[in-house]
Amino acid sequence: MQDIEIKVNGRPMRTTVAVDETLVDVLRQRLGVVEVKNGCGQGDCGACTVLLDGEAVNSCLTLAVQADGRQVTTTRGLGTAEDPHPLQTAFIEHGAVQCGFCSSGMILSAASLLQQNAAPTRDEIREGISGNLCRCTGYTKIVDAIDEAAKAGSSEERSAR
Amino acid sequence: MGREAREMEARELRTVGAVTRRKDGLAKVTGTETYASDMELPYMLHARVLRSPYPHARVVSIDTSAAERMGAICITPDDVPDIRYNERQVSVPVKTYRDRTVLPWVVRQVGEGVAAVAARTEALAERAMRAIKVEWEELPAVFDAHKAMADDAPQIYENVLLGDAEFPIEHNVACFRQVSVGDVAVGFEEADLIVEREYQTGRVYHAQMEPKAALCRPLADGGIELWATLQSIHNTRQLLGRIFDLPLSRIRVHRSTIGGAFGSSIQMNTPVAICVALALKARKPVKLVLTREEDMYDHCKYPAEISLKYGVKRDGTIVAGELKTLVDIGAHNIQAYPLLGCMSGWFVSLYRMPHMNFEGTAVYTNKTPACAMQGYGNPDVSFAVESHMDIIAEKLDIDPIELRIKNYVGLGEEFWGQGPTVRSIIRSCGVEEMLRKGAPMIGWDERGRPEDKTGRYRRGIGVGRTFHTSGTGAAMPGEVIDYSTAMVTVNEDGSVDMSTALMCHGGGTLDACAKLVAEEMGVSFDLVGVSPASTTDTGYDVCTHATRGVYCGGGSAVKAAKSAKAVLLDFASRLIEVNPEALQIAPDPVTGEGVIFLEGAADKRITVGEVAKTAQLKGWGTAIAVESHRMVNCPPCFVTNFVEVEVDTWTGEVRVPRAVCAVDAGTVVNPDLAAGQLEGGLCRGIGQALLEDTAYDPVTGEMTCGGMYIDYKLYTAEDMAPVDDVKVFFADTYEPSGPFGAKGIGEAANNAVAAAVMNALQNALGIRFQFIPITPDMILAAIHGWACEGVLPA
Repeated sequence: MQDIEIKVNGRPMRTTVAVDETLVDVLRQRLGVVEVKNGCGQGDCGACTVLLDGEAVNSCLTLAVQADGRQVTTTRGLGTAEDPHPLQTAFIEHGAVQCGFCSSGMILSAASLLQQNAAPTRDEIREGISGNLCRCTGYTKIVDAIDEAAKAGSSEERSAR
Repeated sequence: MGREAREMEARELRTVGAVTRRKDGLAKVTGTETYASDMELPYMLHARVLRSPYPHARVVSIDTSAAERMGAICITPDDVPDIRYNERQVSVPVKTYRDRTVLPWVVRQVGEGVAAVAARTEALAERAMRAIKVEWEELPAVFDAHKAMADDAPQIYENVLLGDAEFPIEHNVACFRQVSVGDVAVGFEEADLIVEREYQTGRVYHAQMEPKAALCRPLADGGIELWATLQSIHNTRQLLGRIFDLPLSRIRVHRSTIGGAFGSSIQMNTPVAICVALALKARKPVKLVLTREEDMYDHCKYPAEISLKYGVKRDGTIVAGELKTLVDIGAHNIQAYPLLGCMSGWFVSLYRMPHMNFEGTAVYTNKTPACAMQGYGNPDVSFAVESHMDIIAEKLDIDPIELRIKNYVGLGEEFWGQGPTVRSIIRSCGVEEMLRKGAPMIGWDERGRPEDKTGRYRRGIGVGRTFHTSGTGAAMPGEVIDYSTAMVTVNEDGSVDMSTALMCHGGGTLDACAKLVAEEMGVSFDLVGVSPASTTDTGYDVCTHATRGVYCGGGSAVKAAKSAKAVLLDFASRLIEVNPEALQIAPDPVTGEGVIFLEGAADKRITVGEVAKTAQLKGWGTAIAVESHRMVNCPPCFVTNFVEVEVDTWTGEVRVPRAVCAVDAGTVVNPDLAAGQLEGGLCRGIGQALLEDTAYDPVTGEMTCGGMYIDYKLYTAEDMAPVDDVKVFFADTYEPSGPFGAKGIGEAANNAVAAAVMNALQNALGIRFQFIPITPDMILAAIHGWACEGVLPA
């Protein structure tokens, strides 16, 4: 067993974990961070995506000890009901949310993509979220939402300059 | 309703048909929505299930002592009630086949649970589960429906229960249904052309994003409280009462947000009963969440082998049709009997046939049990029939669209809803509108002939049309239970609570019902709240299945809203001294609060909140109403899909660059969410046509994908990239029996897609594929004339 400290959405959380415990299990079962969903536990569906020091990872393929001393961002860290992130708003406005089980991971993959590429093409968006499965939407509305958030973000940047 | 009245009502609709922000949107995107798998309780134990590695075996002995020494609570078949049940409770009892127990002594598929443990952590539970020793006696198994019916096939069941009576199983046939109209032999004699073909569809996995979960808390009075992945909380309560011999008043089943279903949770899923049995023994809360692998071994879509024969006149008029189907149901009969009834209904209701015969046989095999998946046999029947329509059109040299328009079952004709016992008359129909309007949108007349297409990449355009039923209501009670209950309460501030046991699978059913209530009550959508629901605070609702949410659930919500409104207006009439019949309610344009008024009298106005609060203070009571309501129809929501495919003749890969999806849902309550359902259905339909299936290793009985997504292929956003060009439109219809003219949508979205894709492939290559999914290797084999299983000679 090993003591670790993870900053989850800016808040330090300490726990003791077995070295073979995955980050998703520690987040969900020990730290109550249940907005991170476990869809397959095999690294195939992307529902458990979190940002680890800003980079999107499958938390089911990441050991909890690998997150020791690092920042984990979940969809709650991106925005709240009172102050949602533009991606979160765009997901609602564009009908990119149906059952919602993939939404948390999908939004984080999109956030990671937009950090690396502020003005992606639709094909780049599709590639950027290709590690996240959605069974409800057929993806088109998700791509629309990310496209819209990217365009709003880059015009915001322009007006800020 | 006459055209004039209909137009007046349509003009006046304020909320129904408006684009609104979905009520659960913020919770879902910001991660605060709670799914069953997210629930936790103090002192909760985690459960794991010991599952069979064999497809067919008898448990000789189970030794749990090592697991118990680790502190785990264990259950074996000895610890569960000796009750045979069917996890699906939608059919009336005499038509319900019961073949399973909570934990069996004989396993009939790989992955069937035989023992379970609960321990403080999931890791400890896993270790304890592995410490259980089982002595197995392997039995011969069978994985093919045809072989299962042979005289020397292993017998999977000796008998099951039909209702409460013993029902012997012979040749592994779980059930058989024949339905006929007229005399099919006479019909075929009258025909100028007879076309006969065989079709096959796959055992697709639902792949709902949330693996199934259950959390059960035992209560001090011996009862239980449950949160689980379910489409029907009331049926689950009734079944748990029967299995565990508990009065229903001591069972509280909560509605939990569901991470997708597609039919997989119509029945009370296997983890629920296991979790309850563990919790009752442990006397502590127990949580059981399936792994993806366990979930994949828990259910799949019903596949179908279909022999189809149509007889037509030279002018294209259909005179006779015969459909025979064989369905490989796997290890349990969850709902094969109603499935066969529905398949007969889908067949009869697609095209008029004076003479028809349907025969369906459902056969047990030692595979994952099949259950309903979006469409419930309709995508299979429609794939066969719509392929056939194109073949007939080609033989008679008639445009495929004109052949369909000539023969479709439409306005004023009888519709078989969900099989022979669920019949109604079609009162709204947009079939012709969708075909005529959709054709130019896809470029139907420019699609060309396959013989003129050359080059590596070949494009083709195809059409498929069908419908789904909106619920299973009918004028007379049938084999299927169908009604909903809703409660509407006017609060003292003018807001309104709507309470119902309906589920939202993600498509927006509860938002739609809230809109219908807002429309009826004359308040804004924002002021209608959807109450949390459990079995103790809602009346019976059969299940959110069969595309019944908006039409049936919404129907009961509107009825409750009307009744609550009558009470409210009675209170208002006392306060402003106007006959309640003369009063109207409309939302204030600024606050959204309902304003009760007499038209033309400025002083006769009072807000809904003022009335409700005053009624409370004066002790008159609350404007509240509960209505249990069965719809007397099950109107078809018609659907039409046009798709364009592009085939790479070097690799056999198929892309879908363009599609048109049209639905006739009557009044469309949530236009944006409905469009989303159509796009999702398109994606799943393409998957059924070109990608998805589960195959079994004939030696081990395991799925060749091993229960893993990596080998059970699903489309990603990248794979679906070509379908950026999807056009969606709604037929301009009004369903007189529906709430504000609405019908369903859900399952229709998926039902015609595979047919459209296969017809498009034919138009691209000149090859008629009759087995789906059609994979690149099969396409290459067909192009080059190589031998390949599943590819028939053209």
